[in-house]
Order: sequence, then C-alpha cells, then structure tokens
Amino acid sequence: MLLEIQNLHKIYNNGTHALKGISFGVNEGEFLVVIGLSGSGKSTLLRCINRLIEPTSGTVRFLGKDITHIKGEELRKIKAQIGMVFQQFNLIKRRSVLSNVLNGKLGSLSTFDTILEKYSDEVYKEAYKCLETVGISEKAKVRADSLSGGQQQRVAIARSLMQSPKLLLADEPVASLDPATSNSVMQYFEKVNKEFGTTVICNLHFLSLVRRYATRVIALKAGEIIYQGAPSDINETWFRTIYGEEAEEVEIR
Amino acid sequence: MILDPELELHPQKLIANRKRKADKFNLYKAIFLDIFFVFYFILVVQRAIYYKFILNLSDLPFSWNEILSIFIGSVVIGTFWALSKTSLSCKLLGIAKDNKTTKWTVEIFGWSLFNITFIAGWIVTKISIVGLFSSEGIAGAERLFGAMFTPQFRIFDDALFAMIETIYIALIATLISIPPTLVLSFFTARNLMKDNKISFAVYYVLRIILNFIRSIEPLIWAIIFSVWVGIGPFAGMIALLVHTIASNAKLYSEAIEGIEQGPVEAISATGANKIQVVWHGVVPQIVLPFLSFTIYRWDINVRMATIIGLVGGGGIGTMLMQYQGLARWHEVGLIIIMIAFVVWIMDYVSAKIREAIY
Repeated sequence: MLLEIQNLHKIYNNGTHALKGISFGVNEGEFLVVIGLSGSGKSTLLRCINRLIEPTSGTVRFLGKDITHIKGEELRKIKAQIGMVFQQFNLIKRRSVLSNVLNGKLGSLSTFDTILEKYSDEVYKEAYKCLETVGISEKAKVRADSLSGGQQQRVAIARSLMQSPKLLLADEPVASLDPATSNSVMQYFEKVNKEFGTTVICNLHFLSLVRRYATRVIALKAGEIIYQGAPSDINETWFRTIYGEEAEEVEIR
Repeated sequence: MILDPELELHPQKLIANRKRKADKFNLYKAIFLDIFFVFYFILVVQRAIYYKFILNLSDLPFSWNEILSIFIGSVVIGTFWALSKTSLSCKLLGIAKDNKTTKWTVEIFGWSLFNITFIAGWIVTKISIVGLFSSEGIAGAERLFGAMFTPQFRIFDDALFAMIETIYIALIATLISIPPTLVLSFFTARNLMKDNKISFAVYYVLRIILNFIRSIEPLIWAIIFSVWVGIGPFAGMIALLVHTIASNAKLYSEAIEGIEQGPVEAISATGANKIQVVWHGVVPQIVLPFLSFTIYRWDINVRMATIIGLVGGGGIGTMLMQYQGLARWHEVGLIIIMIAFVVWIMDYVSAKIREAIY
C-alpha cells in the first residue's frame, strides 16, 4: 500500500475541527478523487498528507513509513517524492516557465547550486522533457504570468513531474479554469497516471469529471468520510447526501 | 503517538479550554487598561484642567504622595470595574457583559476620556488666536516673505555646491543602507521567523531594536553623530543611514509578510529547504517592491538631508542655518527656492522611476 491514513484529526487554532478521524488507504497506480462541499476538509486532508499542515493526531504512512512526526531533512526527502498541484497554480509569476519547472528539482539538488542557478545539462533536459509531457515546451522562455490559466496549470504539473513523484496531490486543479480547459488539464493528470504509473489524489467538484477520470472516490462531509467506492456507484441519493438536498448536478463536458 | 497531552481531551473540550484561557488573559489585560484609564482621567482633570486652567497656576504643585494616592485609588476603582465586566476595556477586549450598565459606562466614560484629552491638549498647546493675528506679528511676517521673494543671487555658486553635497549625502546613505537592510528584513519578517522559538526570539529582539532606532528622528541622530564624528557631511550621512536602515527594514519586511503564500507553499512542497524556499519563493516576489522603496527613500533622504544640515549635518541645511542666523533674508530666500526646486524634481523623478518598474 502506497499511502495509509489512520484516524486523522486536524483542529485549527481558531477551533475549527476540519478533519474528524479520517482513515483510508491508497494503492499504487490509483487515481483517487476526493469530493465534497467547500469547507468539508478536502484541502486540509491533502495538505496533511505532505505535511504542509501539521495533523493534530492520527498517523500518515507513506510507503510503509510513519511520516506523521518526522522533521527536517527526513521530511524534505519525503516531500520531494510527493508532487503537488494547486488551484491557483502557485507559479512564480515574474520568472520564466523553465525556471518554474526547475524549481521542482530543488529538493534533490544542493542549496548552493540552486542559489547560483547552476543546473546540469541532464536537469535541463529533464525539465524540457517534463514540459513536453504537458505539451508546452515551446513556451519555456516566456514569463509564467503571460500564459493562460490552463497553460499555467500545465506548467505546475511539469514542475511536480520534475520531482519524479511517487504520489501526485492535486488540490482542486481545475476549479479556476473554464470547462474546456478543465478537461484538457485533467487529461494530463490521466496521462501522468497511466504512462508513469504515478498515483494521483485529486480534489474535484464536477461529478462528470469524477466519473470520467477517477478509479475510486472518497466523499467528505464536515470532516468525515461518508462515501467510499467506485465513481459509477454515486447515484442521485448519494449525490444529495454529499452535496445537500438542494444540490442539482451540473454537467460539464 | 500523541505528542501533546492536551490532545487526549475531546476536541470540543479542547476548544472550550482554549477559549477559557484566552478570556482569563483578556481579563488581566482589561484590569491593567482600566487602571490606566482611571489614573489618566483623574490626573488630567486635576492637573491640566483644575490647576492650570481653573486655578491658573503657573507652577503646578507636585508631590509623589499625592500621585501615589491617586494611583492607589485608580487601582482599586479600575480593578473592581474590570472585574464587574462592565468597563470600557472589557468592552474593547470583547469580554464585557451585554447589558445597560456596560452600554452607559462605555458611552459616558469613553466620551469623557476623549473630551478631557482634547481640552487638556488645547490648554497645554497654549492656543492663542490673538497671537496669530496681532499687527506686529503680521508686519514681521510680511518683511520676511518680502525678502524671500527677492532672492539674492550673489551666493548662487556656493548654494549650488552645498545643494549637490546634500544630494550626494542622501544618495550615499541610501546606497550603503541596502545590504544591511536586506539582511535585516528577512530576520524581521514574521512569516519567515515564526516557525520555531529561537528564530521568533531573534525576530522579536530585532524588531524592538529597530523600532527604537526608528523612533529617534534623523535630526536627533545627526546631533548625536555631529558630536561623535564632528560636524559636517559625514555626520549627516551616518544619521540618515541609521534611520534609513531601521525604517526600510520595516517596509521591506512588511513587503515580505505581504507576499503571496501560494508560491511559497508550492516551493516548500517540493522538499526544498528553508534557504531555497526563501531564495526561490520569496525573493522573486519582493525584488520590485524593494527597488521601489529604496528609490522613494532616496527622495525622502534628500529632504531629510536639508533638515539635518540645520544641526550640523553639512550641505545646504548648514548654509541655510548660517544665513538665517545673520538675518540675511534675501540669501535665505534663494536657498529656500533652490531646496523647493530640487525636492520637487526628486519627487517627480522618483515617482516616474517607480511607475516604470512596476
């Protein structure tokens, strides 16, 4: 099992109880999608996995190793193996696409070399390869903020691919994109999942995307798992349980 | 494994516990604040309004015993008031009871505090409408302004040289300030330093020192350094340098605190260490604001350098002081026109440069 989460709790300092005893496991090669309303704890869950947020109690096991309380160098080694893509892309706007992608390699290069931006030819080649994977290598020299939203998200995927990640976390990666672009960005996640066998955990809002890309679904409501299973099994009743009585399914294609 | 014994409690209890602790701490703060408010109120009413205005005493009677007894009185009143949870500071800290008494004390006491402060201020400032419009006064002002509008161009060469000296003092102070300011700003940015106790202590101590340095005006630094290194441009430059470092470190560190957290989060998610996160996530976001602050500071320093000259910091200010002492108002007029002209140009140029880089 690649990732194993047991009885995970997160209480923020302001008293919000965001995760209330989450437990689940993820096998290698899965495309796991986490759904749920805004505020249901999806982002917190993802950030607890790569320890951008410190869980309050419970355990996170990655490749059989308890990583809940590791620190310093050991934690950075783990972080370097877990890629992450964000809703707001989180690129360095004023830097070029290429240097944004190179940033993905920071965890495995020496501090001194990265400060002087001395990267070896192999690293450059790798960066271009990652850009080619997401089909955007011709934009390598352009400033990141001159790209469209969908292109920026593809650069962000390329940045995480530089880590050669075992696990790729995606926090609502298409929530600020239009429907057509959403689908094309999701296809790159699928490509990464199928071609490199990278396990993907992705937060999503649109059920049509969930049905198309997910191999398994977890639904969160108020910090608890209320559904776990195949995407095709989410029927009308489940949909209303997850999203509330007034919800209506919106089709995006 | 649970690291914090607090976590063995039920989460709801944990939250209630934290709230109780916060309320208790706020009550202590409220007691201190209320004692201060009452003490201030009594002192101001007694000394500024009663002694100075109503009795019109020129020498205020002073005895430590009297002040001590007022203080003890305030301690008693303030403590009971805060403990009853109907006082002004309880309201300010959000722990007051929600009833009529609170509403009345807050409104009446709050307004009285504001009003006596204003009245005392008026009395202390010795505001005099008569003085502003007396005929002798106006005649003097006319003489002065008249001379200034007919400047004496005989000293133009000297004034020009002094002006250039002033601009260079400001420029050198600004340039030398950049490296130390850069280093300091990272250590005084809360978001970079809050993670562990040692770095937070460093942050805290540095902030206090910088606040202290900044709270002393460049004019006073110039007085200190003109004694230390002797009167002249060097004293003025050091005075500006010290103040520039302290103020820009604050501006820079606030720019660091205001950056987008997203990219920083993304960089640290790649497994980068602290130095790499700062260099690749923080620095690219702050280069332009830093440049802009620095250029603006040069502009401010040119203005300050003229003032610093008045107390022996060299440049045009020193020259102004000399002619003013000799009451040669036509020369003073020329110098003032030159200062105004240069300040205006600097202001315009620095605004244009800042616009261009953004």
